[in-house]
Amino acid sequence: MIRSFLFATLALVAAAALNAQPKVVELPGKSPLVTIRLVFTTGAASDPADKPGVASLTAQMLSNGGTKSLTYQQITEALYPMATGISAYSDKEMSTFVGQTHADNLEKFYAIMRDMILNPGWRPEDFTRVRDDQVNALRVSLRGNNDEELGKEALYTLIYAGHPYGHENLGAVSALQNMSVSDLQAFHRQHYTQANLIIGLAGGYPAGFAARVKQDFAALPAGTPDRFALPQPASLSHNQATIIEKDTRSVAWSLGFPIDVKRGDPDFVPLLVASAWLGQHRDSSGRLYNRMREIRGLNYGDYSYIEYFPSGMFQFEPDPNLARHLQIFQLWIRPVEPPDAVFSLRLALFELDHLIKNGISASDFEKTRSFLSKYVNILTKTKSAELGYAIDSQYYGMPDYNTYLKAALAKITVEDVNRAVRQHLRPDRLQIAGVAKDAATLKASLTSGAPSPKHYNSEKPREILDEDKIVEAWPLGLKPEDVTIVPVATVFEQ
Amino acid sequence: MRRRLLLAFLLASVSCAWAAGKIFPYAYVQEDLPNGLRLVTIPTDFPNIVSLYIVVGAGSRNEVEPGKTGYAHLFEHLMFRGTAEYPPEKYNATLKTAGAASNAFTTADFTAYHTTFSKEDLPVILSMEADRFQHLDYPEADFKTETLAVLGEYNKDSADPFSKLFEELCATAFRVHTYGHTTMGFLKDVQAMPEGYQYGKDFFSRYYRPEYTTIIVAGDIDPKRVRALIDERWGNWKRGSFHAQIPAEPPQDGPRRAHVDWPSETLPLLTVDWRGPAYSDDTMDTVALDAISRLGFDQNSPLYQKLVVDEQKVDYLSAGPPNNLDPQFFGVSARVKDAKDLASVEEQIKTTARSFAEKPVDPKKLEALKQHLRYEFALQLDNSESIAATVAQYVALRRTPETMNRYYDMSAKLTPADIQRVAKKVLIDRNLDVVTLTSTVPAAATKGAAQ
Repeated sequence: MIRSFLFATLALVAAAALNAQPKVVELPGKSPLVTIRLVFTTGAASDPADKPGVASLTAQMLSNGGTKSLTYQQITEALYPMATGISAYSDKEMSTFVGQTHADNLEKFYAIMRDMILNPGWRPEDFTRVRDDQVNALRVSLRGNNDEELGKEALYTLIYAGHPYGHENLGAVSALQNMSVSDLQAFHRQHYTQANLIIGLAGGYPAGFAARVKQDFAALPAGTPDRFALPQPASLSHNQATIIEKDTRSVAWSLGFPIDVKRGDPDFVPLLVASAWLGQHRDSSGRLYNRMREIRGLNYGDYSYIEYFPSGMFQFEPDPNLARHLQIFQLWIRPVEPPDAVFSLRLALFELDHLIKNGISASDFEKTRSFLSKYVNILTKTKSAELGYAIDSQYYGMPDYNTYLKAALAKITVEDVNRAVRQHLRPDRLQIAGVAKDAATLKASLTSGAPSPKHYNSEKPREILDEDKIVEAWPLGLKPEDVTIVPVATVFEQ
Repeated sequence: MRRRLLLAFLLASVSCAWAAGKIFPYAYVQEDLPNGLRLVTIPTDFPNIVSLYIVVGAGSRNEVEPGKTGYAHLFEHLMFRGTAEYPPEKYNATLKTAGAASNAFTTADFTAYHTTFSKEDLPVILSMEADRFQHLDYPEADFKTETLAVLGEYNKDSADPFSKLFEELCATAFRVHTYGHTTMGFLKDVQAMPEGYQYGKDFFSRYYRPEYTTIIVAGDIDPKRVRALIDERWGNWKRGSFHAQIPAEPPQDGPRRAHVDWPSETLPLLTVDWRGPAYSDDTMDTVALDAISRLGFDQNSPLYQKLVVDEQKVDYLSAGPPNNLDPQFFGVSARVKDAKDLASVEEQIKTTARSFAEKPVDPKKLEALKQHLRYEFALQLDNSESIAATVAQYVALRRTPETMNRYYDMSAKLTPADIQRVAKKVLIDRNLDVVTLTSTVPAAATKGAAQ
């Protein structure tokens, strides 16, 4: 009896260990470069409630601290002749370590990258420096120096308030200040497991290398995959706005709402077409860009998203390995002159309403479909990006992104797009995040219901002036109690 | 012949790129049209994708008239305002159907228009670009609207204190030369742009000419076919005759400094710069200053390790050599965690720079750096767009990719004595410009650790 019980237990353990093995995604090639992406499917959604930011700080500590055998200084010295580095970033459900090396240096490079994760040094002096960096990333880089990213990140925290996605990935200043190395070690022990690991390799690595990497990372605890309890956030009953007040020249807007569609879902590609029609990231052929910038000169650009895209200020294509089970629909209105702030917001809402009511035309559908089916080649133009997308596909349980997108685009119709728009998008119950200097005056304008006419420095076609008459009085649905003013110094503090 | 070239290229790209001697591993073709237009074609082994960079040798350096700063950049915007054959809607629709990633940027010395797309769309993209470079035509109302998009760009950048720091540095160091203003231009000039329609026309007529322009096509291409397309659509472009008189900045007569009060939350910033020489691929000047910037201030340098890793007084430290057509800066920038350390950090940057003049560097460190530089170069050539972008940066300086090979050849020959000689010449107090920036917001972020 005892013996059979023992056998049963062993069998269970063996099954768990088998299940816990890291997944490996390989893209071998002839390139002299090798890319390694190590993705742990854990992130801010696994932060304990009282330790927001611990997932991110752990990843930064591993990639910017020493290992057991090498100090951070020695790692820097060792990587320098190879002209490379190892960087890390964390999102809600993924923590990613990425590095690229010339194949000449693969062994030396890999040994460092491996030890960063398997044998971290946890030195107090590294911790102090890395934590300072993370606090200043929140206070200075995001809050102080970048109104647009501030607005975009604030929008997510507003939409997901009280949810596992509800805090900024970098955490909160007070929580970071109270963290210790032992908090990071605990997170590392629990979440840096074989079950959470996806190993990605691309380029000119030698035969047998993948098996060796997998063998090395068997030193991690087997663990079980992170399970995220991710309900859809509660829907708003009407529009809500938050104005972050700071001393700045212009007004930045981000607005959106949760959608029940993610990559791989049946309506993902139809919604992607609609979003790309409104305005693909940094693309000058989108509807919003045309109506807001090209015709009216309101700002530098305006775009739409159905997937998280941080650092849009600095890059044209999104980073891979930001996979999420929950996404939002978002409009990014780049900074406008303060006298145009309310008009610009109204125009964005007007355009969203226009899309929902009228859909996109058959010819616009064909152009956008053609665009996306070719643009996907650009998204995956580097081996590192191609590898990142392949890892995301592994996580989502779907075919490789190029194949998936091209096949889905070939099948869908304009009716599919317009039905998905009607089903998933809406012109109301929006969260709106603004960054502005004179928040009280802006709030008064947003809630007064008075028209906000646009004055131009040049002649405009009659069609635009007529449309402006509608836009300037477009209902914002905001009462004074719906608009909250937040001093910038308090954002991401608690 | 073609097969041999292809084989040589394949060998170069799969083995150590510099074994054959030249740093740039791709066999490129450089040819001039009779009208002065230059074409550089670079077949790569990355399939399907083609990247097109059109480099115009006009940047904010060319803005010589008072009150007209920012026009090179404005012109980059106006180039998307259409022609009779391709109004903006048609231009954008064509790019959209092609799935192209298209954009442009302006620097002090040049403006670059870049498009990356699938290879089958090469003819239409080259035709469309030829059309707008030769036949740009926009009404004054569109001009005025576009000036507001430029103001929007100024607004988006205005939240970043590094932009302001650099703007102040330029104004401090240059009183005559056009490097005294940034590419974005002075705010008052940007705000006055709506009235500059005619000047915009003049700017186009002066610089958007074949003799100022180099077309770079990299990717899955056949150079002969590209040349035929270029001949067909760009061959009739008329050569111009304008030569800008860029005023020369006299040598600096002593150290200068400036300070910026920043109205929002930030850590204190510092930039310590020496007026330096112009970019050079036939002297040791640029490669020596590049070496100093790295040996003195890179992540593995003693100063970085001291200030950032050990003492943790600085969270950003970076340096760069002068890489411009005319003499500009050797600069070191730092973000300091506490304003009380600004003076000390400044002094340590200066001391580090001076040390290169005082004694020769360790030859082993110099050799490790040379290895770093070559790997760094090889690692950035990981797709056709990066290859075209890299070539564009160099073409803007000498109008040929060969300058890359010459530059890295010079770098390979660099000695500790060269570094010392150039440091003695450039990194002296008389050439020094220092700008600091601090927040006026009380209790701004300082150190993150619990107090």
